[in-house]
This record gives sequence, structure tokens and C-alpha cells, in this order.
Amino acid sequence: MIAERAHLLRAVLRAAEIAPSLRRGFGLTLLLALVGTSGQVVVPIAVQQLIDRHLGSGSTSVASVLTTGTIALLAVLVAVLCTRAAMLRLVRAAAHGLSELRVATFRHVHDLSVLHVQAERRGSLVARVTSDIEVITQFVEWGGVGLLVGTAQLSLVLVVMLAYDAVLAAIVAVAGLLYALLLLSFQRVLRRLYDDVRSRSASAVAAMSEAISGLPTIRAYGAESRTRERVDDALEAHRRIEVRSHVVGASMFSTAEVFAGALTAVVVGAGVLLVPGGLSAGRLIAFLFLVTLFIEPIQMLVEVLNEAQTAAAGIRRVLGVLDMPIDVADPQPGRSLPPGPLAVEARGVSYAYPRAPEDGGGHGPLILRDIDVVLRPGSRVAVVGETGSGKSTFVKLLCRLIDPTSGSIELGGVPLEQVAFASLRKRVISVPQEGFLFDATIADNVRYGQPAIPEAEIERAFDDLELGDWLESLPAGVATPVGERGSRLSTGERQLVALARAWVAGPDLLLLDEATSAVDPALEVRLRRAVERLTAGRTSVTVAHRLSTAEAADEVLVLDQGRLVQRGTHRDLVAEGGVYGRLHADWSAGIGGTTGGAEARS
Amino acid sequence: MSAEPVLTTETSPLTVLGRGARLIVYLVRRFPGRFLAAVLGAVSFTAAIIASAFVVGDATDELIVPVLDGGEDVAGRLAPIVWLLLGISVWKAAGIVLRRGTAASLQVTAMTRLRRELIHRLLDASLRWYGRHGVGDLLSTADVDTKQATFVLAPLPFATGVVGLLVGAGVVVTGTDPVLGLAAVVILLLVVGVDLRGSWLTFEAMEEAQRRRGRVAAIAHESFDGALTVKSLGREAEETERFRRGTDHLRDQLVAVGGVWTRYRALTEGLPSAGLIVVLVLGAIRVDSGALTTGELVRVAYLLSLLVVPIRLLGYLLWDTAQSVAAWSRVERVLHLDDRQSHGRLGSSTSDTPAEVTTRGLTFGYDPEQPVLRDVDLTIPPGTVVAIVGPTGSGKSSLAVLLARLWDPDVGAVQLDGRDLRELAPGALPAEVAYVSQDTFLFDDSVEGNVALGTSLAPDAVAEALRLANAEVFVSALPQGAATPLGERGATLSGGQRQRLALARALVRRPRLLVLDDATSAVDPSVEARILRGLKRAARPSTVVLVASRRASILLADRIVFVEDGRVRAEGTHEELLATVPGYARLLEAYEQDAAERHEQARRATDSARARAHRRVQEGSMHPDVSAGQEET
Repeated sequence: MIAERAHLLRAVLRAAEIAPSLRRGFGLTLLLALVGTSGQVVVPIAVQQLIDRHLGSGSTSVASVLTTGTIALLAVLVAVLCTRAAMLRLVRAAAHGLSELRVATFRHVHDLSVLHVQAERRGSLVARVTSDIEVITQFVEWGGVGLLVGTAQLSLVLVVMLAYDAVLAAIVAVAGLLYALLLLSFQRVLRRLYDDVRSRSASAVAAMSEAISGLPTIRAYGAESRTRERVDDALEAHRRIEVRSHVVGASMFSTAEVFAGALTAVVVGAGVLLVPGGLSAGRLIAFLFLVTLFIEPIQMLVEVLNEAQTAAAGIRRVLGVLDMPIDVADPQPGRSLPPGPLAVEARGVSYAYPRAPEDGGGHGPLILRDIDVVLRPGSRVAVVGETGSGKSTFVKLLCRLIDPTSGSIELGGVPLEQVAFASLRKRVISVPQEGFLFDATIADNVRYGQPAIPEAEIERAFDDLELGDWLESLPAGVATPVGERGSRLSTGERQLVALARAWVAGPDLLLLDEATSAVDPALEVRLRRAVERLTAGRTSVTVAHRLSTAEAADEVLVLDQGRLVQRGTHRDLVAEGGVYGRLHADWSAGIGGTTGGAEARS
Repeated sequence: MSAEPVLTTETSPLTVLGRGARLIVYLVRRFPGRFLAAVLGAVSFTAAIIASAFVVGDATDELIVPVLDGGEDVAGRLAPIVWLLLGISVWKAAGIVLRRGTAASLQVTAMTRLRRELIHRLLDASLRWYGRHGVGDLLSTADVDTKQATFVLAPLPFATGVVGLLVGAGVVVTGTDPVLGLAAVVILLLVVGVDLRGSWLTFEAMEEAQRRRGRVAAIAHESFDGALTVKSLGREAEETERFRRGTDHLRDQLVAVGGVWTRYRALTEGLPSAGLIVVLVLGAIRVDSGALTTGELVRVAYLLSLLVVPIRLLGYLLWDTAQSVAAWSRVERVLHLDDRQSHGRLGSSTSDTPAEVTTRGLTFGYDPEQPVLRDVDLTIPPGTVVAIVGPTGSGKSSLAVLLARLWDPDVGAVQLDGRDLRELAPGALPAEVAYVSQDTFLFDDSVEGNVALGTSLAPDAVAEALRLANAEVFVSALPQGAATPLGERGATLSGGQRQRLALARALVRRPRLLVLDDATSAVDPSVEARILRGLKRAARPSTVVLVASRRASILLADRIVFVEDGRVRAEGTHEELLATVPGYARLLEAYEQDAAERHEQARRATDSARARAHRRVQEGSMHPDVSAGQEET
């Protein structure tokens, strides 16, 4: 438990290091909070003063009562102003600090290759810069205020109690400590219960989501009553545990009242019995007020500590991302690539995907093994192989989205890891299988790499790719918005825009990952022509899923289980048979849907 | 979902309260017992608070002042006070448990009931209605909105109690001393007013923050999804700048929220203190003039000091009401949906022969204004395999969907052996017709469970269906065979494996009509052919309608229905259509022509390349440890 807290503290300090706004001026905030809380103890002190100095003595003057009242009111006013200032400072620090942390994490994630290498982890990376940061923000703001005000109130109340009577103060303090320990043990019970609630709740949501997403299937198979039962059962199981957790929680929460009552009774008893002659009526009555002021922050602090677990988990996850080393880094100083079409040389290149730290880290099985290949400048190369053969990975290595586990790659004679990113990203362009479009216009998407390009030039780019008529068929030409992730365009059309984007970039090495899905014949023809234009005069490496692409290439590389097993022209390879022969037979039989009829000619 | 603002800033608190009141009445009327119990708990707690103030006041007058200031003997005065204090605290605690326990039970039970009704209603909804509402939206309504719509129930009983407490406190204080009563009522009203106003303004500011939070999340999602593009064009710095603009915007709003919230929070903490001091000063003067005892003043002050925390709860009630009202409107949309799947009374046929399918004048559009099928008349003889062929967007999938009655036509009818599909009783249609789509939906169940889907089957029926669907080999390789749980959405299976399970699910029902909507797109053509041949030999053969977009699949059919622009252009065998229907011929030839063109180019290109091409072939041995599941993206 204590180790856990120390861990939390370290994590918070690390976060404050990355986001300096979190700790800047914290001392003053603390001081203001302390002064601010004094507003709470003004009332008990005023009660004591009025009773002891005015009511008990029988010599009350209205003027002196008013003076006491005015001083008390002024104290409350100062306290209110200080409380406000302290809370506002805390909220500001949290907002600024966590904004810094969020941006730093975002940038770091973009620098990590895991983002594009392991698409399945993308969702969790988004959560790092959204929900995790939210949890921390919420904790620092609300929990932080609670922690600040609660601690200040607790200490101040104790100080006032001590000033009134040390014995009673000691009784209250010890009782408070014991109660805090009791609450902490309650929290442990509750946490276990909440874990059950969470898992039942997740099952309930999963059951509902199955019913909703699967409705067409449920309808087609008349599985409504089975689904109803499953959903009802999951919902009822969740309801039961949730209600139980609330009842248990309420019972534990209600002990505060019993504790307050008992403590009040003890204070009254001890006051009149144990402290003969030493205590005035006003002081004892003030104690009764102070006891209520003492219990509230204990409850609050325990709850804050409980929430701190959630926030700590969030901080740890965020730090976990920030602590991941940048595996593919921009070399300092970097070299530039030589002008003109680039030669590609790979020597003994192997690659294995890194394993997630939660799966034990290290590397997974080899995806590429010992690839040796030299590609001439200006040649069109097709890479073929079955799913999982490593062909997409090979292409990712060439644009240094990932670095080989062993072996080396040179572009135009320069070792890839020595090429400055500025030069690399300008000269080597890859067009992924699914052309990703941002929620903007076609023009903005085409000039994504170079925002300064005028619209006329973008239109010319489409003309150059023989896509002018397609552009004209759109409602607003290049100014047509593409929607979220390009959803207003078809898959093939998104690909066209991605090709135009590559065209305006004017790369000297073009890496293409051909789409596997079939598109309309007309669009298919357009895509082929555009690719043809795009690859003319530059070195290109295409991950091919179509026989025709392989047929048109100057050279075909055949990958199988991560090894380069064949290379040569389509014709030679067909004659040779082997893995390529098998692939070719499959293609000819019509798998993939786009090569039907080819068997008649090959 | 949660990123969406709950209310627009134009909504006034009064509108919210009005709608909130109607929602509260609706919900409370369904669970009156729980609500009354919770209110009872709250009221009892309230009464205990007032009682405790009386005891503390009495303790002052009867015990503390006489003993400590008057030097009198404790003698038997202490015990009753102690017992009263303890008794009242237990009373309070019991009130809390009753109120919080039943209020939570009220809220959770109401939420569960809403969820159940919502799902039951959805299961009866027509797919037309379903299609109009996004799955994501419906999920978020079932998950988040049902919860939020019932938020208002949790603080409601206590709020009722607090109102009682305020009235009670006003009465007690006024009864003790009219002057103090007036002061207390003014102060209490002021605190309540400030608290409600502050809550509302904070709420509005938080709504705006929520909108901005949504935008930040959207940027992160888009930017990370497009990481490959960002990276390959070297735009990381610009993306970070874009993200920073979003977070700055959010940060400014969070600071603004803090500005409002801290102002009112400080006020609601300071005002009661200041009010108490005013009451104390006034009280001291009244005590001095003999109108009041010290104990009575302590009673009033103690009571008022106990009110501070509960009053703050009223503000939360306002928040919760605002959230609930907005969420409820989304829940209502589903609960009151009027577009349900209708049924007739005809039972299913007991015949063992394939079904005859006829359509008469089918016209249909997902949006009725834009029909995707017009006037389709078809007769599919029993036992034939018919392929529906046509370009993308021609309406072929829509036709398949109508044949399985997932949707109903706008005009015309689909008949199975002369019976209109809409006349069939619930359950009769799935007993005769099986529909398999391109995307396979798998449930969080075992392979068997997914195939059977709740129908009781002969012991080896599942195995037989798996065999017919060519799924038995990969299923038996699973750790527990057909009993293997597939996990959520069967994520571990490949596309082709999923499709074969879906086929088994259809075949196990021995349908008289089997509709395959591109259902074998991920299955090897030779396997597809084997499956269809097996079907013809099956114990209960079936009429098969398949929507095909693959040449190999088309060739498996006895007859072709060629669809274009929502109309049936031609029917006949493949050879007939190839010879007589130019559109059909064009469609099938489109790739071939292009392929021929490419082939010629390829030949020229390879001739020139061959001279330089050197070959360095590395014979690959088989390495079974290479993960075949690795995504090629």
C-alpha cells in the first residue's frame, strides 16, 4: 500500500517534469488554500467568543458583539477570496500542465513506429491522449481541490482544537485516525465489489451491443428470443451486483454519522468530566462544531485517495508511452539522397515485429528473413506473395517506417538510417493500400504534404494522371469535401486522390501497396492508367495483388514465408513454376475476382 | 457519443426543469415503492438532523453551561444526552442506508428496465428503421443514454429530503425566534439561489468543454489513423501543431469552467459561514435581551451549520436533470419507434422439396424516393441455382435482401410457393429461408452455438453442416473443436473461415431457399464449387439464389439474372446471355479486355528488362512459425 503510494508520487513528479505548469507556483496555491480554509473555523471561534465573552459574563455590550461579528465577517471574506484564488490557480495549473502533457504524448506517439506497425494498438494510443489524460485532469482538478481543501481544513481544525484544549483535541485526532483506517479498509472491500460491477457492466453492454450490431443476422435466423434471453440475463446480473454495491457503499458511508454522533457524545462527556475547571462552555460548544468540520474532510480525503488509484493508472499508462524509446529516429546530422531515380539495395535484411510490453516485450517471429536484393534506378518492381509472406513489411522498410531487425538498406548508395527525414520524406513516397484521407477537400488532401500548392496545380495533377474527367464528375471539383476518412468517396476514388497526392510530391522512389479489394471495372482502368503515369521514370516498388501488375513489372520479387524465393520477369517465373507458378494458377482461377479470363492468354 | 453536448446553450433552466419533471413523473410512477422508501429514508434523515440540533441545544442549556460556567454538578445530566446523541446518529445512519440504497436500486432498476425495453423494441424493429439509425448511435443510446436518462433518480429522493429540511429548518428557527427565523430564511434562500445559478452556469461551460474535448479526440483519432500518410509525407510537426490548437482551445475552456465553478464554490462555502455569523450576532443580542437562551442560539447555529453540505446537492440535481432530459429524448426515439416488422399467421411448410420463388412488380428503395429496384418480376423454379449478376449499385444485393425479407418492398410482393412472405407467422420464414451476407456476424459463443443459434438440433446436425460448408477441417483444428468459444465477434478467424461458419449456420437449418449475398467472396472458388455441389446432393435440397461478383461463382449457376439500374435486363443461361445481352457480355469482358491490353505492354516491358535481370533465388523452406495472421497493411 505504502509502496503503491510512493509509486504514485514518483509518477506525479515525472508528469510534473514533462509538464512544468503543474508544479509552477504550487507553494503559493497551498498557502492560499490554508488561509482560505480558515473561513470554516471562523464560525466555531465566533461561537466560542460570543458565548464566553458576552453571553456567559452577563456584561454584553451590543457594540462589542458587533465588533466580534465584523471581524468574523471580514475573516470569512478574506477566506472566500483566498479559497477562490487557490482553487482557480489549481484549475489553471492542471489545465495548462495536462495540455502540455497531452501534446507531448501526441507528438511522441507520432514518432513511434508502433503507431503504423501495429494498427490494432492504435485505439489504445488514442486513449492515451484522450481518456487517460481526461482521468488525470479530472483527478487533479476535482480531486486536487478536495485534497488541498481537505488537508488544509483538517490541519486547521486540529490547530484550533489544540488551542482550546489539548486533551479533547488528542481524543478527536486519535478517533479521526482510527476512523480513517476503517474507511480505507472499507475502500478495499468496495474496490473489489466495483471490479465485479465493472465486469458485469461490460458483459451487459457486450450483450446489448451484440443484439444491436447483429440485428440483421438475428432477424435472418429468427434468433430473437434467444437474444432477448441472453440480454435479459446479462442485464439482470449487472443490476443485482450494481444495487448490492450501492447498498454496501451506503452502509459504509453511513458509519460517518454514527462516528460523528459517538465522537460528539465522547467530547461532551469528556468535556464535562475530564477537564474540570479548565474548559469554558464556549470552548466545548465550539468543539461540537469543530467535530462536524473534522469528519467531512476525512471522508473526502479517503474518497480522493481511492480515485487517485484510477488517476495513477492513467498517469502510468501515459508515462509508459512517453518512456517508449523512439525506435526510428531522424539522424543528426542527416545526409541527403542523391538526385534522380534511386537505386535500392538490401543486404541480409530481416525483420520481426516488436512485442507489446504487456506481452513480455522482445520480438515476435521473423516476418522477413535475410533479404538480399538490388533494384536498379528507374525500374518497376512488383512484390508478390501470399498473405503473411512479408511483402508489405518489405515496402515499409524501404521508406523507413520501420528499421530492419538485422541487415541494412541503402538508397542511392546512402545507408537509409543516415538519410535525414526531411530528404527521405520528400524523395520517397509511399501510397498505402487504403488511401487515407483527412476530413477536408480533395485539394487539401492532395496538397497535404505541401500546403502551399495552388488549386490550379492540383487540377493539373489530376489532368496529368488522366483523371480530369473524374474530377469534373464531382460536385465541386477539387473543392469537394471528402467527409470523415474520405467516406464520401468510394475505396477506388480514395485511391485516386492518394495517387494524386503522391504525384504532386514528385518522389524519386515510389512505394505502392495495391488495394486487395475489387473496384468497378471503369475505375479499375483509371487506377491502372494513373499508376502507370505515376511510376514512369522513377524507381517504383509495388506490392501486387493483381496478375496484371506483376505482368507489367520489369521485375517480380516473390516472397514466401518471409524469404525471397524467386525473382525475374513474369514470363520467366511462370516458366519456372514454384511459388509463383502456384500464385499464378490461383490468380488465373479467379481468386481476387479481378483477373478472370487471363488464363486464356498465359 | 459522450463527446456530444447534452444541451444547447439556448435551453433555459425552466425548460429543462419542465421536461425533467415530466421525465421524473414517468419514471417514478413505474417504481413507486422504491421511490417512496427512498423519500422516507431522506425525510427520516432530515428529521434526525433537526433532532440532533435540539439535543445539542439542550446539552448547552442543561449540561454544558450549568456545569462548566455555573460550576454545577454533572449528576445524571450527561447520560441522557449521550444516549440521545448516539441514538440520533444511528437513526441518521439508518436513514442514509435506506435512502441511498433504495435510490440506487431505483436508478439501476429503472436503467435496466429501459435497456431491456429498448433491446426488445429494437429486436422487433424493421430493418428499414434500423438502417436509418446508425449502429454506433443505437449502441450509445443503449449504453450511455439509458444510464444518463435515469441519473435524475439518484439524487431525487435526497433533494426531496433537502427541501423538507429547508422548510423544517425555517420552521424550527422561526419557532425559536422570529427575528433569527427571518434572517435564516433569507440566508438559506440566498445560498440555494447562488448554488443553482452557479451549477447552471458551470454546466453550460462544461458542455462547451465537452464539445471541444470531442474535437480533440477527433483530431487524435484521425491523425493516428492516418499515421502512415502523416509519416510518409513527414508531417508530424504540422499534425502536432493542429493537435495543439485543439488542446489549447479545450484548455482555455477548462480554465473558463474553473473560473465559474470556483467563484460559485467559494461563494457557497463563504455565504453560509457569513450568514451564520450574522445569525450569531443577532442571536447574541437577543440572548442578551432575554428573548433567547444560549442553548436555543446554539441549536439554531448548529442546525444551520449542518445544512451547508445538503444544500449543495440541489445544484447536482439540476445538472443531473439537464443530462437526463437530453438523454431521455434519445431513448424515447427508440422506445417509441413505430416501424416494426409485421407478421402474418401462415405457418412454415413441412415440405422437403426446394421452394419456388416468385416476385411480382417489386419496387424498392432504402429511401423510397430513390428506388434501387423497379418493377422486378421473377420466377425462380424449385431446386435451381440462380446467380444475380450486375454492376456495382445495380440493386442485386437489395434483391437478395428482399427475397429473405430483411426488408419489405415498397410496392409488389415476394412469394414463396405462392405465399406472400409478409403473411408468414413469426419464426416461419427463418425455418424455410436462410440468408447469408458477405460480412459474417459471429456471436460471443462457441462454434456450435454460433451455428445452432438457439435452435434445437439433432446431435450430429452441426457436424454435418460444418462438413457441407467445408468448415470441418479448420474447426476440428481449434483447441476444443466445435465447442471452442469464439470470443467477441470471432476476431481470431479469417474472413474465409467466418464465411464458412455463416454458411454452416444457414445449412444446418436445411432451408428450402438459400440466399447467398456475396457470401463466398473470401472462400476459395474450388471450395465454393464443392459446397454448391454438396448442396445439390443434400438430404433436403434447396433453391439457391446467389449474388455473385466473381466469374468463377457465376459459372456455378444454372441460370443468370442480369440486373442493371434496378431492373432485370435479362434472364437465361450464361451462354445465352453472353451471346444476346451486350451489357452482360461487357461486364464479364471488362477485365479481360484490360488484362489483354496490359498483357501486351507487359510483354514489351519484360523483353527489354530481361537482359539485365539477374536472378538470385533463395529456395525457401517452410517455416510454420511465421504468423499467418499478421495484417498486411
